[in-house]
Amino acid sequence: MFKPSSPLFGGLLWKTPWRISSPQKARQRKRLRAVDQVVDTVAAALARQGQSTKSINRWYDEMPREQEMLPKDKYTIFDKKERRYRKSIHKLPKWTRVSQRVNPPGF
Amino acid sequence: MNFFRITLTRSAIGLPRRTTDVLKSLGLKKRMGTVFHPVSQDIAGKIMRVKELVEVREVQERLTRKQLHLERKPDPGYYIEKRSTAEFLEQRGQ
Repeated sequence: MFKPSSPLFGGLLWKTPWRISSPQKARQRKRLRAVDQVVDTVAAALARQGQSTKSINRWYDEMPREQEMLPKDKYTIFDKKERRYRKSIHKLPKWTRVSQRVNPPGF
Repeated sequence: MNFFRITLTRSAIGLPRRTTDVLKSLGLKKRMGTVFHPVSQDIAGKIMRVKELVEVREVQERLTRKQLHLERKPDPGYYIEKRSTAEFLEQRGQ
């Protein structure tokens, strides 16, 4: 049955839901763990040769692992334009392919 | 000598130009494409630039294109019967 609504009537009105769904959250955690695993593999392989790289050391210094992150940081990001300064992570462009784990100082 | 076995699992469409260039320099063109590179600092740095898009394993030796294809090939579900002499000679040849 056709239910008239703004997205159906106006050609280019797409709506991103305000909330992130729980399967989206589960996949987000999976992706975070996958990135952790890639970094661990590379670091271990280099360590076996007695080497290390600046980018890997920096990652370990600055970035928390998936298990150490708070739910707040996993599923929301800082945004100065939002009320309470947080918005859901799925509003971030290309959010499934970027590493966004830390907040600006003080937030 | 150890190698990185790098598989592109997520495409870089819509990401910054430099991300695509890093993938190109690693030799990754299509999703699910696999390349082998010796374990070194510069390759590690490149992987770190595209860590969200790839899957990495450390392996002992690099595989050829044919070996990679055979890895994915499913079991045919049948076998061809042969004379015992022919089978014996085939096994000996291997």
